[in-house]
Amino acid sequence: MRVRLARIMLVVALFGVFAACKRGENQGQIPLEDFFKSPEKEAFRLSPDGLHISYLADYKHYKNIYVMDVATGNSKRITSETDRGVGEHFWADNEEIIFMKEWKSDDTVRLYAINRDIPAVRNLLPPAVMRMRWVGPARVWNDELLVSLNLRDSSVFDVYRLHIKDCRMDMIARNPGNIAEWYTDMAGKLRLAVASDGETETLLYRETELSPFKPILSNNFKTAIQPIGFSGDHANRLFAISNAGRDKMALVSIDLKQGKEIASIFKSNDADIASAGYSNISGHVLNVVYDTWRPEHHFIDKRMGKIYADLRQQLKGYEIEIAETDTAQNRFIIYTYTDSNPGSAYYYDAPEKKLLKLADNNPALKGKQLSHMKPVRYTNRSGIKINGYLTLPKNSSGHRVPVVVIPHNGPWKRDTWGFNTEVQFLANRGYGVFQVNYQGSTGYGKHFWTAGFKEWGGKIQQDITDGVHWLIKEGVADPDRIGIYGAGFGGFCALYGACFNSDLYACAASYSGVTNLFTFMKEIPPYYKPYQRMYFEMVGSPTADADYFRSISPVFHADKIKKPLFIAQGGKDNRSNVNETNQFVKEIKKKGTPISYMIKEDEGHFFRKEQHRLEFYRKLESFFNANLKK
Amino acid sequence: MSNQQRFSYRRTFLLIFVFLVLISISFIVAIVLARKLTRKYVENEFQARKTEVLESNIASYNEFFQNRIPEITYYQGYLDSVGVAGYAESIFKRFPFVERLVFYDVEISGQYASHGVMANNLALSPKSVFQFGPQVNKDSIRLYRRGQNRNFSLLMADEFNKMALKFAGFLEEVDTSKTINNDDLFKIFYSITPGKITYMNIPRREDIKIYKQLMFTSQPDTSTYEQDILTYYINPNALSINNTRPELYQKVEIRPLVYESLDTNPDLLTAETPLPGALADYKIYFSSDRTFLWTEINRRFMPVAATVIVIYIFLLLIAYLIYRNLNINRRMFKLQYDFVNNLTHEFKTPVSVIKIAGNNIKSAKQLSDRERSHYGRILDEEADKLNNLLNTLLSFTQIENKAIKIKAERIDLHEFCRKIVDAYLLKYPDFDLKYNIDHDIKGFQTDPVLLGSVFQNLIDNAYKYSGPENKYLRIEILLQKKLIVFKFADKGIGIAKKELDNIFKKFYRIQSQYNQQGSVGLGLAFCKELVNFLNGEISVESVVGKGSIFTIALPFDNKKNVMP
Repeated sequence: MRVRLARIMLVVALFGVFAACKRGENQGQIPLEDFFKSPEKEAFRLSPDGLHISYLADYKHYKNIYVMDVATGNSKRITSETDRGVGEHFWADNEEIIFMKEWKSDDTVRLYAINRDIPAVRNLLPPAVMRMRWVGPARVWNDELLVSLNLRDSSVFDVYRLHIKDCRMDMIARNPGNIAEWYTDMAGKLRLAVASDGETETLLYRETELSPFKPILSNNFKTAIQPIGFSGDHANRLFAISNAGRDKMALVSIDLKQGKEIASIFKSNDADIASAGYSNISGHVLNVVYDTWRPEHHFIDKRMGKIYADLRQQLKGYEIEIAETDTAQNRFIIYTYTDSNPGSAYYYDAPEKKLLKLADNNPALKGKQLSHMKPVRYTNRSGIKINGYLTLPKNSSGHRVPVVVIPHNGPWKRDTWGFNTEVQFLANRGYGVFQVNYQGSTGYGKHFWTAGFKEWGGKIQQDITDGVHWLIKEGVADPDRIGIYGAGFGGFCALYGACFNSDLYACAASYSGVTNLFTFMKEIPPYYKPYQRMYFEMVGSPTADADYFRSISPVFHADKIKKPLFIAQGGKDNRSNVNETNQFVKEIKKKGTPISYMIKEDEGHFFRKEQHRLEFYRKLESFFNANLKK
Repeated sequence: MSNQQRFSYRRTFLLIFVFLVLISISFIVAIVLARKLTRKYVENEFQARKTEVLESNIASYNEFFQNRIPEITYYQGYLDSVGVAGYAESIFKRFPFVERLVFYDVEISGQYASHGVMANNLALSPKSVFQFGPQVNKDSIRLYRRGQNRNFSLLMADEFNKMALKFAGFLEEVDTSKTINNDDLFKIFYSITPGKITYMNIPRREDIKIYKQLMFTSQPDTSTYEQDILTYYINPNALSINNTRPELYQKVEIRPLVYESLDTNPDLLTAETPLPGALADYKIYFSSDRTFLWTEINRRFMPVAATVIVIYIFLLLIAYLIYRNLNINRRMFKLQYDFVNNLTHEFKTPVSVIKIAGNNIKSAKQLSDRERSHYGRILDEEADKLNNLLNTLLSFTQIENKAIKIKAERIDLHEFCRKIVDAYLLKYPDFDLKYNIDHDIKGFQTDPVLLGSVFQNLIDNAYKYSGPENKYLRIEILLQKKLIVFKFADKGIGIAKKELDNIFKKFYRIQSQYNQQGSVGLGLAFCKELVNFLNGEISVESVVGKGSIFTIALPFDNKKNVMP
């Protein structure tokens, strides 16, 4: 009896030890839901006089508009939408807010106006099945707003001037079919358009709304001229970000009459200029932003430079983005973040130097120990320097850790330094996260970008593979515990890795990944026809390059997959054919390879429903736990 | 007594006989039943295993149907004649039952088409038609090209039209906001008739939306869309048939569905199973002659029969063992009975002598010195006899039960033998008793009392079982490797061969004139027990009338014994 009691006590004691260990292991693990919480308040907008701030917050599970009086700090809800949430909104003037409800396919566009004090909603557009695009900048001039609608022909967007008081609508530019973008001058006159036949982009200009558009500049799509805004000092001058005649995007000014670039205002030798801050009140470029390993700011406007310096002083260590400004450019809405902090939104009164916090981007993560995103650089097999980021788990030795490689989507995009929820989530779960800006990524100049053309399964994949080998050689990655995961094109990289680099990766996870290039090319819809040739040059032609497509499309190589696979896919994803993915999964299953397949019939390319997203990440976590933590 | 014995013996025999008869009947019944069941089982197998053979034979068809046909969808309508040529080649190589492949490169548009199917505004028209196949002549690969060939023969158009109409019908009804389920997909995009499979690539949801739009709205849009239709011509006869159950099926053949064998042999077993899908007008036909199945029946029957036989033999063995034990027990009983008889005699003689002597002494008025010593000697001798008798019995029981321990000591064999021989020569002056010891042997480690008993018994026997003029015994002691061997050779009456096995048994006595009185039949059994107790062995060779040689071998440890 005594012996038995002692044994029981020993078991209890041992159990206690295990429980303690388990608790120790889980310590610092942040619940999944906390990572992927949507912010409580978002989309802050400043009224033109800077006295009111509007924002979106939940009301009965739908996003609705709230308005806050800066002076008192009091907020009130002004919309009561309960069928679908508010999508976008902005101030028409100091009193009225224009907003659009979330759009669903085969539905009319719902554009409304509402006064901040009187809760009466006015419908601005007649009901019709159509889509709407803003004609930038979204701004109201004399109660008039410019929008482009595919009302006349579903494949082309014409520009209309919408009178917001009486809801009258005039077509002010008829799209011959090839105009992709429209721009207004500082007075709200439509004077600039960008036409594209896919391969060639043409800038069209007119001096007044009465005269016809004339082409002034043409270039191959590899050369980009992105209009920023008309110059406030010269009526015929345009600020643009351009890489015409140079490798990297620079801030330039263009004489529209002559159709010539007349000055390069700012450029960086390291990176493309990513964006420019433009004041549509003064008609000046305030600043430019470009990404080296982290965002760099250069101020052209001296006053703004000083304001920014003040902000930096007050928010030390934070990356700062100026999002909104009032007409007088005294009051601002700014967002902050770091690589390990999702940051907050602030209201800033520049003359007073007063900072008012509006909201935390993710209060659930406040004060939590998150990981730093370190820039890394390695040389690929052809001697080209490739940049990337490595995020190691907090308190990790950095030696032989399990690693998840996340190639970015695109592929014509890049990873930047900043707060990345997905990366932080995986790092918090004990994985090193490796991101690669492979050849074909944007931001490093034209040459680097075009080097990735028709290199799916080629240089792009080689760069990723070289990066992983480099990481193993550095002793960071445990060669037996490397997984690859990505969404979209990243999903293609994961599947490609599972098919053709199965020695390197212990497992692969694809989230709405491209499985078949033939299907991917089909995705260019009829009204994107002009882009087809561009895509042929960037990716390849499904007829001329059929053999190449076949050789790299994972769907044709199900038999080569030997390692565990996880595929998540929306049933209504247009970029891949669900039947095809089903067939792919069936074939892999038949071969006896472990595969988990998550299909959500009512979802599109990416999961929109929060519960589906959470379910996806939960499954992703257990998939990696099962295959990378052995 | 003997009546009773005979009675019990008979009863046992009867029981065993009945038992044997019963198990023999069971054995025969079991064998016959097993054989019948096996036959039934094999004939059932003949019917039941056909699906297994079918499945293994259509595995390649299934792979073709499940994997290679849907692969067309992966190309999303972008296939051209070059692409199909490559695809077709891999199909023909891997799946010989695919005879020919016709490829319709189909264009879908909202414009009128002269050849093809129009449904409202939607036109499905073949841009070109190609055929591929190992037998297809190079010149006839292209069957049709829009603008070049006028004729688009009805025969050629048949499959295309079927598919196009089905698809148009589907577009008319389809709800594009929903995902299409698998059943519908199968109904619309596959057309399976015997000998032919036609498949159209499954468009994306988005494409179906566009097609539907084209169908119902008249648009200036001149965009065209591509779909691929492939018709596979299947020849079931080219399906390679592999008999995976050669032990069951003599012949496995592909036959038309209506085929019936005209063979009237009543012993011909047949079975058939229809082929699926495009092979459906053919069946797999199985046939075997009954005699062919016998091999298989026997093969399966053998282990069963063997088991039954083993059980039968086992039962027989048990019967035999029971019988033998009964027999032994009966003999034991007899021996013990004899023993008691003998012992009574053995005790009776000295007791009666003592009684006579006692009576004589009692009745004599006066005893002379000679008489007194005579009676004294008689009483003394008879008492010794009784004592010896009891001692032997006692020690025998002890040894049998291993109740005594060996008291080993080093003995000088010369000394040992001389004492015994001297004592016997004194007792029996007519005894020609001599011993000879190998001069290598000096000493020997053993229990002298036990060894003495063995000597005594053997010497006594030699004397006892010898004719009066042949009282002769030679004792040889020699070394053989690791053994010390004692040989006792006499010229006595000898032992018959059939008796040799029994003489070492307890209470056994050879019936002869020499042991009419004063023998219990324990002597040799006692010797054997002693020798065995000393880890040795005793054996005998004998010729009737000439004499016997008893040989005793005891273990001899050189190190302990030879070195002084």
